[in-house]
Order: sequence, then structure tokens, then C-alpha cells
Amino acid sequence: MNNTAREAILGSIRSHLAASVPYDQQEISRGFSRMNADQNPSSSVEICGQFKASLEAVDGHCVIVQDDGGIAEALTRIIHGGRIAISDNPEILRLLNLTDLEIEELGIAPNAHDIFRFDVGVSTVQAAIAETGTLVLDSTRERHRLVSLVPPVHIAIVRASQIYRTLSEVLSLIRKDKEISPAVTFITGPSRTADIELTLAIGVHGPQELYVIIDEVN
Amino acid sequence: MNHLSSETFGENAKAALADSHLRGALKNATSLFGERRKAAAASLPNWEDLRSEARAIKDEVLSHLDLYLEEFASNAGSRGAMIHWARDGAEANAIICALTIARKAQIVVKSKSMTTEETHLNDALEAAGMQVVETDLGEYIIQLAEEPPSHIIAPAIHKTRGQIAELFNAELGMPLTDDVARLTSTARATLRDRFAAADVGISGVNFAIAETGTIVVVENEGNIRLTTSLPRIHIAVMGIEKVLPRFADLDVFLKLLPRSGTGQRLTTYQSYITGTKRQPTDEGPDELHIVLLDNGRSRMLAHPVTRQSLACIRCGACLNACPVYQQVGGHAYGSVYPGPIGAVITPQLMGIEKSAQLPYASSLCGACREVCPVKIDIPRLLLHLRAEIAPRKGKVSERLAFKMWARVMMSPSLYKVSSVLGRILQRLVPVAKAWTNGRDLRLIESKSFHELWSDE
Repeated sequence: MNNTAREAILGSIRSHLAASVPYDQQEISRGFSRMNADQNPSSSVEICGQFKASLEAVDGHCVIVQDDGGIAEALTRIIHGGRIAISDNPEILRLLNLTDLEIEELGIAPNAHDIFRFDVGVSTVQAAIAETGTLVLDSTRERHRLVSLVPPVHIAIVRASQIYRTLSEVLSLIRKDKEISPAVTFITGPSRTADIELTLAIGVHGPQELYVIIDEVN
Repeated sequence: MNHLSSETFGENAKAALADSHLRGALKNATSLFGERRKAAAASLPNWEDLRSEARAIKDEVLSHLDLYLEEFASNAGSRGAMIHWARDGAEANAIICALTIARKAQIVVKSKSMTTEETHLNDALEAAGMQVVETDLGEYIIQLAEEPPSHIIAPAIHKTRGQIAELFNAELGMPLTDDVARLTSTARATLRDRFAAADVGISGVNFAIAETGTIVVVENEGNIRLTTSLPRIHIAVMGIEKVLPRFADLDVFLKLLPRSGTGQRLTTYQSYITGTKRQPTDEGPDELHIVLLDNGRSRMLAHPVTRQSLACIRCGACLNACPVYQQVGGHAYGSVYPGPIGAVITPQLMGIEKSAQLPYASSLCGACREVCPVKIDIPRLLLHLRAEIAPRKGKVSERLAFKMWARVMMSPSLYKVSSVLGRILQRLVPVAKAWTNGRDLRLIESKSFHELWSDE
């Protein structure tokens, strides 16, 4: 049955295209969108600053630190304790151990049933985009699909070396992998809606608060 | 459901014009979206080039749609997605109902999908015994109110916070409030419970990449991520025109779509889904089904003018720019797709007989063409459709009148006689009342140019 429908649809496409006046092929000029891609690489401080400004423009919070101590300090300030879900990147656990947080419950990449009870989710990222303040999460590298989505607060830890300047660069980076990961997610700020009288409301389905801690040095 | 019919656009529009609250809401929404779009487009130095590039990519896809669809289906299929082909809405609904029944699903969560609105999937699922929950905030509100969407990207803009508070009070038992944040958080809490319990998540698709088999969905709320991450089965429904050849093409479209829709540089989330998870223990659904829907689309390929309607990326910019939509809103069109793009797509999808009024719901001012991120020549499409409708639907009296007018204009003597007659008659009979109700008719001058010339 499915095959019949497939043949019918493809057949209909072919016959209607054939009936049509031949299309006068326009020359596709490519690469307009990538005009700014080949600027000189900027300094770490500059690119971190650009990321921070972009993220804050969409109501995200950004803390720039210089070392692991700085990350631990920021984590302590943002998380007041409670139930914390973290991704399976061992780096997160190592950094949490540097804090003196009183953690009520710690879940490592909780599943779809358990994730709902956590107050905070902590993950790293696979890349970030400075021009838009975007985090790029690749689900084959880290189990952070739910940790970054379900808890009301998401904290992402980013290394300056992971920040690219443009969306175009990151899209080609993703494509470079031989096999694209089954789930790649771009996150730009906390969840938002304006569906009621166009009034902005933050945190409708995804996290209400998004914190990004950038280690500017490493 | 309180569906208006596109056959009665004239009456629907009249009723909408009498609704002062609706017109206020429309004015706010369309002007705000319009201004934001303008600012966002101006923030890029090469907006016009991007539009041309996007259109060229769409034209390339559409002129080889069979090849790109097969490439997409094969690449998504080889990565674990199940591909289903549906000739029309009924077939798509039957496929989806069969899938959910076979898996003994009870609760289905949905993220916003115009395509499933087009097929009336919710009615079919409910008839099959499923509980269907729309999770986009605007869609959730109108589902509770049992109304159709009134705008492509802001489905509930026709409702005030007061009306929504009353609705939540009646349906969810929430105390009355005029606080949008509290209304939003109540919806969040109620819907979380449904997300946790759902067996199946149904989403739309913004872009489908042929070379990788990837589907891309863009959003702000996070309900699409929840819909496509939590339930064990994900069903994505897409029109066959959503294919793009290369992953790199996303660059252009991700710059154009959010800026044209809401004026954002990028929406909060983009999900790139390529097949199913690799290990059973990985996060995400066990099954991914992609339903490819034709439903009249392949027919539109037959003519280069109608074909361009398939380039639409559903941003809603033409709605906001349209002086007709700005006054009457989405419901008056009596169609899932309102506004200028709705006036060209609806007659082609649903049949020109049922929506013959829609191509006339335009002043042909061209504002829609100016803002369209993929440069669809909507006014030309409207004229093309009008030319198809006129011989079938045109009134006999109207055709006769134009024939007579042609005869008169071709003969100097008839012209002279008729202008004399016209000068006398225009004072005695009301002419073209339907036309003059909304406009002034210039009276024929007491002396014609010919007469003035010979007087000299």
C-alpha cells in the first residue's frame, strides 16, 4: 500500500513537472550568507565578550571566568542546592566536587521518567556561536538532551576554544562529520513565548533560566 | 469546531470588520511583527541576496522534486526512520492512526504543525480513541476554546488575556488573573503532566535535508523538543515541498525564517533530527516515522506560476504586511492558511470551487511580495487564479457588461452615443451599487475630450 502511494506521488510529480513549461534555470549564486566567515580569528576575550552580549540580548545569563575555581564559584552562586541533574560528561561531576554545595539529590543523565523532579540541569556543550549567543549540543557526544530541557534551570559550561564566530561555521562543522548525530540541538536563550497578547513570557516549556559559564582561558 | 468556510469570505470579512476588539488585536500584532521584521532584515547587509539565493534553492528543489524526495527518503530511511507516503490528508491520517493504535498509544502530544491542521489529524486521532494534546501555548489555548488558528505563527492572537483567563478558569480550574506569566506557567504545569504520560509525539517539519536525511524543526517554546525527545514514538508530518538539497542550504533559510516570522536573529531552539538513536540506551524516541504528504502539492508543479507557491516557508510575513489580513484576520479566510499566501494555496489545495472568493481578497498592492523571504510573486499568482475562476464563476451579467464595453470602446460612434447616454443616465439610476458602497464613482464630465478639442 505504501509502495503504491509512493509511486503515485512520484509519478504525479514527474508528470506535472513534464507538463510544465521548462523552467528557465537561474544561476544560483551561493555563499552570500557566508560573506563574513573569513574574517581574522579574534582573540578569546573578544569572542567571549561577543557571545555574552548576544546571549544577554535574548535574556540568558553569562558568567566569564578564568579557571576551574571560577567555574566552581559560579556554580555555587547559581545553584543553591536542591536536586541536580547532570549530563554524563565526567567533567561536570569533577567541577561539582570543587564546590561546597549541599546537594539533595544528584542524578546523572536521568531518563524520561525521572528527569521531571530535578530543579537544575548541568551540561557542557559541543560548540557555541558568538554572533547569536547559541549553544550547540550533540547527543552522541554527551547525554544532555533531557538535562538541558526539562529542569527549570539549565547551566551550560563552555570553553572559549569551543566558541565559533558564525552560524555558517558551525553548520559546516556539523556537516563535516561523516555521520550526522541523530539529535543536534541549538539553544539560544531561555524558552520563550509571546502567544498571549504578544506579551513576552520566559520559560514556557523549556528552562526558565539559562546560565552559561565560559572559561575564557581554557 | 467553529470553522468558517472560505466559500463565505465576504460575509466572514464583514463580521470580522464589525469586531472592534479583533481589529485592535490585529493592528497590534501585524504592526509589531512588521516592524520587527523590518529591523531584523535591515540588520543584515545582504538581505536581498539571501532572498534570491533562497528562492533559487527552492526552484532547484521543485524542478527536481522527485529526485530530492527519493534522496531524502533513502537517507532518512537508512538511518532508521520509517518513511510513509500519503497521497492525501485521509491517507496521512489513516497511517498515523494505524501507527498509534498498533502501539496501543493513549495520549498523543503535538507540537504546532500547519500540515496536520490541513489534514484535520486531531479529529481523526480522537475518533480513533486517542487523547490529543496541542502543546504550543497558542495552539493549546485555541484547542481548549475549540477554535482554529488565526495566524500562522501566533495562532491565538485574536484572543485577549481576559478571554484566556476565563478559558483556563473554566477548563483548568485556575483562579481568574490578568497576569500573562501566571497564565503561561499554568499551561506549562498542565502540559508537563501530559508530556510525561504521552506515548506518541507528533511534530511538523520546517526543512528536510536530502543529502543527510535530516529533519529540522524551529521553535521558541521548547514544546517541540519535548514532543520529539520524551515519548517513545516520534511521528513527523511534512508536505513534500519541504525538502532542501544540502545541509549547507540551512544557512540561508535559518537567517531568513526567524527574521521574517518574529524578527528574531534565531529562534530559541532548532532541533536537527537524523534517523533514530544509535544505542537503545541513548536518549530520545525508539521510533521515528516521517509522513510525506502530497495532498494536491504535486499538481501545483504543472505551471511555473503556481509552482512558486510551494516555495513558501510559512513565516507569516505576508499576513502581517497585507492590508486585507490586517483588517479581517485569519478566521475570515475559512482556511488553515490565511492571508495572501493562504489566498493562493487554499484554492490550489482544496479546489478552486470551494474557495473562489479568496483570490479576490486582495487589493494587489504587492506588499506581500515585498516581504516574502523567498520572493513569491503572490499578486501574479492571485491574478493567475482569478483568470482561472473568471470563466467559471463570473456572473453572466458581468461578462455581458464587459463585452458591451469592449464593443463601445472600439467604435467612435457608439462611444459618442454612450457617453451622452451615460451623462443623462448617471443622474437617474444608481450605478454599480456594490462597487460604490465602498468607493466614490467619478461622474462623467459634462464635456468629453473630443468635444473640448472641437470647441477649441
